[in-house]
Amino acid sequence: MQTAKREIAVSMTDISKRFGPVRALENANLQIARGSILGLVGQNGAGKSTIIKVLAGIIKPDSGTIVINGETVTSLSPASVEKLGVHFIHQDRLLVPTATVGEAVFLGHEIGFGPFVSRRAMERKAADLLKRFFGMELPAGTLVKDLTTAQQKVVQITRALAQKASVLVLDEPTAALVKREVDSLFDVLRRLRDDGIAVVFISHYMQEIEKLCDRVTVMRNGTDVGTVDPRETSIDAIISMMIARDVGEMFPKRSVTLGAPVLEVANLRLGGGFENIGFNVRAGEIVGLTGLLGSGAKEIVQCLFGLKTADGGSITVEGKQLALSTPVKAVRDGIAMLPEDRRAHGVALGLSVRENISLASLRRYSKSGLVILNSENQAVDGLIKELSIKTPHRDALVRELSGGNQQKVAIAKWLSCQSRVYVLDEPTVAVDVGAKVEIYNLLNRLSGEGAAILLLSSDLLELVGVCDRVLVVYRGRLAGTFSGPSMNSDSLLAASSGARSNADGMAA
Amino acid sequence: MSVSANDSSKMNLRAFLAKYSVLIAFAAIVIFFAVASPTFLTPANLFNVLVNNVVMLAIVALGLTIVISSGGIDLSVGVSVDMASMVFVMLLATGYGGVVGVGGGLGAALIVGILNAILITRLNISPFLATLGVLFIGQSTQQLATSGGQPIYLTSGYAADQFNAIARTDLFGVPTPVIVLVVVAVAVHVLLHRSVFGRYVQAMGAQPGVAWYSGIRVPRELSMVHVLCALLAGVTGILLSATVKSYVPLSGNAFLLDAIGATFIGTTLSRERKPSVIGTLLGVLLLAIVKNGLLLVGWNFYWQQVGIGVLVFLVLAASFGLRRASH
Repeated sequence: MQTAKREIAVSMTDISKRFGPVRALENANLQIARGSILGLVGQNGAGKSTIIKVLAGIIKPDSGTIVINGETVTSLSPASVEKLGVHFIHQDRLLVPTATVGEAVFLGHEIGFGPFVSRRAMERKAADLLKRFFGMELPAGTLVKDLTTAQQKVVQITRALAQKASVLVLDEPTAALVKREVDSLFDVLRRLRDDGIAVVFISHYMQEIEKLCDRVTVMRNGTDVGTVDPRETSIDAIISMMIARDVGEMFPKRSVTLGAPVLEVANLRLGGGFENIGFNVRAGEIVGLTGLLGSGAKEIVQCLFGLKTADGGSITVEGKQLALSTPVKAVRDGIAMLPEDRRAHGVALGLSVRENISLASLRRYSKSGLVILNSENQAVDGLIKELSIKTPHRDALVRELSGGNQQKVAIAKWLSCQSRVYVLDEPTVAVDVGAKVEIYNLLNRLSGEGAAILLLSSDLLELVGVCDRVLVVYRGRLAGTFSGPSMNSDSLLAASSGARSNADGMAA
Repeated sequence: MSVSANDSSKMNLRAFLAKYSVLIAFAAIVIFFAVASPTFLTPANLFNVLVNNVVMLAIVALGLTIVISSGGIDLSVGVSVDMASMVFVMLLATGYGGVVGVGGGLGAALIVGILNAILITRLNISPFLATLGVLFIGQSTQQLATSGGQPIYLTSGYAADQFNAIARTDLFGVPTPVIVLVVVAVAVHVLLHRSVFGRYVQAMGAQPGVAWYSGIRVPRELSMVHVLCALLAGVTGILLSATVKSYVPLSGNAFLLDAIGATFIGTTLSRERKPSVIGTLLGVLLLAIVKNGLLLVGWNFYWQQVGIGVLVFLVLAASFGLRRASH
């Protein structure tokens, strides 16, 4: 507990906030120490984003004390909190895409004379800062939109540092990053910590928390339930603090008898993507698919849903060979897809739960082109109940639902279609632990009903916990199939990186 | 989203005002003009407003309502109006009958719609740019076809009889154009709010990626949307020519901005700000009444435009402002 002696940069005590009858925060505490990285974890709705918004001056608390750098603060606004040296890197990129790196770094604090902005000075100073802090060199005048997501994060952090940040709060900063970028971001954060900056790191990825953080504050039901050292406390113990439920249930066990092959893929080939891919998925079977970014695993999934057209080979569902050139055909042939980008492709946030669930199967609930509301309502209500989707009513907008429940709506859409094959593309990314468990339960149910499930995931623990078999793709080819005792995260990692020796650690 | 007890009544009032801002504005405006002008509420004037200001604009606006629901826009509705009007009048002028004339006119509008559909779904041009291009092409085409924009008047003889058969007939005292509007409104309502096609349109408008990933034939449905919009604008073109017994080049453009305004005023009626048939019809009525009322109280044409601009601004601003406050 030597970290407790470190100087406290931000101390929030007994913070409470109600929204009408909903208690978002109740006597919550958060201590952020200088020169340390604090992880903040909790399920969605546990209050971690609310307490961060209170600190950011976006939400006004009903009661509680906030002390920043030894100074008790009574009212906070987004502008005043930045002046106090507390900076936020929000999950959604908040950089102007057409700005140059220099403009982005000095946004709101432009360098110049009076009303004139000196673009050249800003570019030069931004380049200096990037090089000094991160050893990163970008061509002068690079536009924000031409940067990778990781580089944009670094630019945002540089902006904070340029304004002498002493506290840096990062909300899910790794969600859109690939492994290598995550590693370099972590290096950056460790260096900032060593320079005495207080870093708060919010993430759903437990492995990242374990790898990076000095302390972890766990939130549940609007309050902090404990602060632990992740090196001394196991991930399972942290997760059980978050959900107050035995983590043994994280990957619920199931027992199904596998049926005949439903999905058969043979010799599938896509120029520049993969070749000679062959496997099958039997009724009731959950087959995992994994591979590093660019390995071709993603492209296989896209071909199965008609998003890309394979150059050769065959895809057969229940003995019928399919010509999948568009999702229209894939859906008609009984293939369901749970896309990675839920907001862009999975559910329409501006439509109701009902409209989303029936969208792919509207023909079932219609006669001569007109929707029969009664039969639609009946089916939708049935699915809401069956999947225990938490929604006030079937006509509530999907936007108002939590991420996990939105994902359930996306699954309900295909249940309503009575699809035979389910292709899932990273279904648990950015979903909290509780919702993850519910999604795993759903997969089990689907498989119990005889669906063939192909699960693309880069979460190796998830694959091991959920799948009967895991296929590993490496450089466009199947590098191995694992099941039973040989299926563990070490073997999967070794196969997906094309070698046994791997010093990079775990894929997040 | 809940609120604490002490200011909930105030909040509810605000929510109420936000929800019904169009209706409240509507009532206030009717009362204002009824007081300001003795002729405003007379049956003769209201009938005039309905036939001359509401019917034609409403049919164009209903077509546009479908397009805007799909997440797009059609800037070429005026061209569809004009093309239908031009071909209709030209056919009658060369001695063809009313049926051929109407068929030809609607056919011309159909071609505009198909052109938009091809540009948008085959060439992947954004609806805004595609229909803007068609707007320019359509305007020039009319000027080329009429030696620089000469109107065609057919005020007597066989053609005039054909016009009257459309514009000056009635069924149980209801003028034919009004019947056309009722049929169109019911049809578009069923199509947009009750049919499978309408659901697909809403889905494309809400999130095109989700529509595509749900197995909806997005290009086909989107083509249908633009063809329907052009056809409805064509119906207005026919009614316009039959009413004024002439074809005046580029007269269709007058409908574009009013129709867009009416549709967006209508979206303030729904919580999700979605276009709807009822909303659009109310928007059209609002615009028509303001125009007529301002005319009756003696404002000239140019000031009418100012009045309408201010009105659109006030309704939208009040609705947005009150809604934000009520959240």
